[in-house]
Amino acid sequence: MGRTLRALAVLVAAVLVACVPLVVTSPFYLQIYTFAGLNALVVVGLALLFGYAGQISLGHAAFVGIGAYTCAYCTVTLHLPWLVAIVAAGALSGAGGLILALPSLRLKGHYLAMATLGFGQLMSLVFVEAVGVTGGVNGRGGIPFPSLGPVVLRSAASLFWLVWAFVAVAVIVAYNLTSARPGRAMRAVHGSELGAQASGVDIVSVKVRTFVLSALLAGLSGALYAGVVGFVSPSSFTLTTSIGFVAMTVLGGSGSLTGPLAAAVLLTFVQYLDSLIPGLPQAAASKLQTYQQDIYGLAIVLVVVLAPRGLAGAWRRRRKGVGTA
Amino acid sequence: MAAPSQGGGNGVSLLQIREVTKRFGGLTAVDAVSFDVFEGTIKAVIGPNGAGKSTLFNTLTGYDRPEAGSVRCDGRELVGRKPRDTVLIGVARTFQNTQLFDELTAAENVMVGCQAHQRRGFAAAMLRLPSSAREDRDARAEAGRLLRLIGIEEWLDTPAFDLPAGIRRLVEMARALATKPRLLLLDEPAAGLSAGETGELVRTLERVRDGGVTVVVVEHDMGLVMEVSDEIVVLDRGRKIAEGPPRMIQKDPAVIAAYLGEDSDDA
Repeated sequence: MGRTLRALAVLVAAVLVACVPLVVTSPFYLQIYTFAGLNALVVVGLALLFGYAGQISLGHAAFVGIGAYTCAYCTVTLHLPWLVAIVAAGALSGAGGLILALPSLRLKGHYLAMATLGFGQLMSLVFVEAVGVTGGVNGRGGIPFPSLGPVVLRSAASLFWLVWAFVAVAVIVAYNLTSARPGRAMRAVHGSELGAQASGVDIVSVKVRTFVLSALLAGLSGALYAGVVGFVSPSSFTLTTSIGFVAMTVLGGSGSLTGPLAAAVLLTFVQYLDSLIPGLPQAAASKLQTYQQDIYGLAIVLVVVLAPRGLAGAWRRRRKGVGTA
Repeated sequence: MAAPSQGGGNGVSLLQIREVTKRFGGLTAVDAVSFDVFEGTIKAVIGPNGAGKSTLFNTLTGYDRPEAGSVRCDGRELVGRKPRDTVLIGVARTFQNTQLFDELTAAENVMVGCQAHQRRGFAAAMLRLPSSAREDRDARAEAGRLLRLIGIEEWLDTPAFDLPAGIRRLVEMARALATKPRLLLLDEPAAGLSAGETGELVRTLERVRDGGVTVVVVEHDMGLVMEVSDEIVVLDRGRKIAEGPPRMIQKDPAVIAAYLGEDSDDA
């Protein structure tokens, strides 16, 4: 695809996304699209971390949690403005990413997966036990809507635009990274750490920065989530949540941003199929929800077996096939 | 120690290897090896399988830490440094098992090598600052130049996983050159090349040397070794058994014995 054609495609996609609230007027349905954006924000970071740098994390729900609780604590308890809260949420989750980056410097593959999984479990325990900050199992309610100075974003449409504006900035930043030197360094670390060292790549710096950036994006997603829903509880930030993010990233394909982005939206919709498909029988809908985890699991298995490069890889192969035919 | 002989170049010793010993458990892979590499020359390190050639490379580039000995490049100690720091000092290498980045194209692989001396980082790239974009353009141009120098520019945009084995070695060599080394260590660059391609490699190595890069090459292809090297070091079971210009090495009884598998002089 030519450069102009690609720019045009991105522009069209952006306009289409921006127009969603004009078409979907029901606040309930619109919120599903907002949730898709929240997941997409996390998955953009994971695409960099896993799809480009090759570092697995089974604990990213913890960063979403850190962001959400930070936002809740800053706004409800400390009465700080929302803008301050979201900056604090990004900073704290980024700092958390720094901690999680440390094991990645020594561990690889399964061992890194275990370490990040342990971090996620540890944090979900903290969310339950640190009652003073998190409200324990009951969670925290009464979180105010996001506000920019005197403007309070309380309509479903404005929240949708806010979240997707964050997604847009994240995608631009991520795209700039991947198409320049840092992106090549990430893929070099993924391809061969020996070769990366021999090329003078600072592996420690690449891993740490990518972990921090992906944690920061997850934290922002959590902070936005707190503002959108107004309530946070530990059940939103479990291992299941983390695995959902990994499923989206893997289904999307490594070495791509658009693939994981599309997968994040698709797999978010799976949770709400009953609302999105008009006339879907109640029984079928409840079945789908019961087996949601199985659908995620099956998606991962099928991708790994049939299309290891994910949606993005399948798309590239199809285009290549057409081009050479 | 014996006075190192001089072979070609300007007679200045760039690399001094002194009494380097590396053990793995009970095995002494490199046993008190010493030699010099002179600036502007090509030196070959040869020896039967298991002689310690690759391990010697690893001790020069921070991948293996020797139990004893010292390695100086241009007066700076290499032992105890991390691999990346040896690159920044000016020592680049390739691997016996090529370590390319399979998902990247040949050109992008070489561009990663260019990063060693680039300054613009994460933030500049995120914001797509002009300085970052300029570095990218420079790296792309440099990658093209190096792949042309080595004669494989037709593979520029081919993903590394699609490259033939011999070409992979040459791309890795281009990537090593992209770090702007003073000393280039090549581990079996001719493996997987056809006879014609090996002849081309000889000329490429001479061009690299004449461009001011000193070369040390581990190689089994004796035709290439005899043709291209100014000096040869022979290792057998971790020890240096001979050193000198190709003509001398060919006639050396210890070398012949080692290659024919007879008992050499070790206890």
